[in-house]
Amino acid sequence: MTCEPTEPGHWRLTFPEPEAIFIINVLARLARHYQENVSQLPPALRAFWQGKITSGKSTDAEELKESQETLSEARAELRSERLALAENWVREFELTEKRDPWKVEISSAERDEFVAMLNDRRMLLALEIGITESNMEIDPGEIPNEKRRHAILEIDVLGHFILVTLGPQIYRP
Amino acid sequence: MSQVESMLGVKILTPIRPGIERGVIAATPGTETSPDIDVEKKLKEAFARGWSVIVWNDPVNLMDYVVYVFKTVLKMNEQEASRHMWEVHKQGKSVVARETQEKSELLVHRLRGFGLNATMEQI
Repeated sequence: MTCEPTEPGHWRLTFPEPEAIFIINVLARLARHYQENVSQLPPALRAFWQGKITSGKSTDAEELKESQETLSEARAELRSERLALAENWVREFELTEKRDPWKVEISSAERDEFVAMLNDRRMLLALEIGITESNMEIDPGEIPNEKRRHAILEIDVLGHFILVTLGPQIYRP
Repeated sequence: MSQVESMLGVKILTPIRPGIERGVIAATPGTETSPDIDVEKKLKEAFARGWSVIVWNDPVNLMDYVVYVFKTVLKMNEQEASRHMWEVHKQGKSVVARETQEKSELLVHRLRGFGLNATMEQI
């Protein structure tokens, strides 16, 4: 995959077909997830999507309750917006005849949403499987549990796509 | 009595007690509440940068991605963004902004939109 600027604020993503199929599968899974009722999700995922606005001390419990509700509503809206975006990408791919390579032209705002969605998938996998920092530091090949190994591999691969998409704008230590 | 209290004519009625002949005393700050003063206090608090925005460590977010998000959402420069990213990584959290309540809420929403674990705390 490559990501090149076409004009200020616009980018072209180019995927070889196998990578495009992988990304479309990820987006299709995300679309299914975004449609699920948050209250029916497992506790870790539910907490992720409802969000918690404050930590530590606070003085006005009533006002913060409102802020908490606003955050939860904003998170719900975000899910709807991302559902529409994921469905658009999947539909565009299905309608495209020339898929090798598959080219997508997007704005900077759409690019940010795209990487945030890939990051959603990484976060959801980690929360669902209960992946810890130490899990992420070992060679996935050494992880005996297949489900956990696959999740870590997918998290790694999606991380690669995020970094390529952000390209030269990201920090390189 | 402050000028605002004086303008509002803040007084409280009390039962007659020894030493208070007419049963009316001038209010002193901190001895009574008035809805108007509450509003003033709330306005002051709302405009004060009395809230910290905190980003917490998590096992998954990439360091480079976190730096990108700090630059995009918080308009930090490269150096600042990477310093805060390292602070999150090494110490488990970093205070990335001190803002009004409203602005802090907005920043928490945006940081969470990018998948970072952000909260706000009253200073």
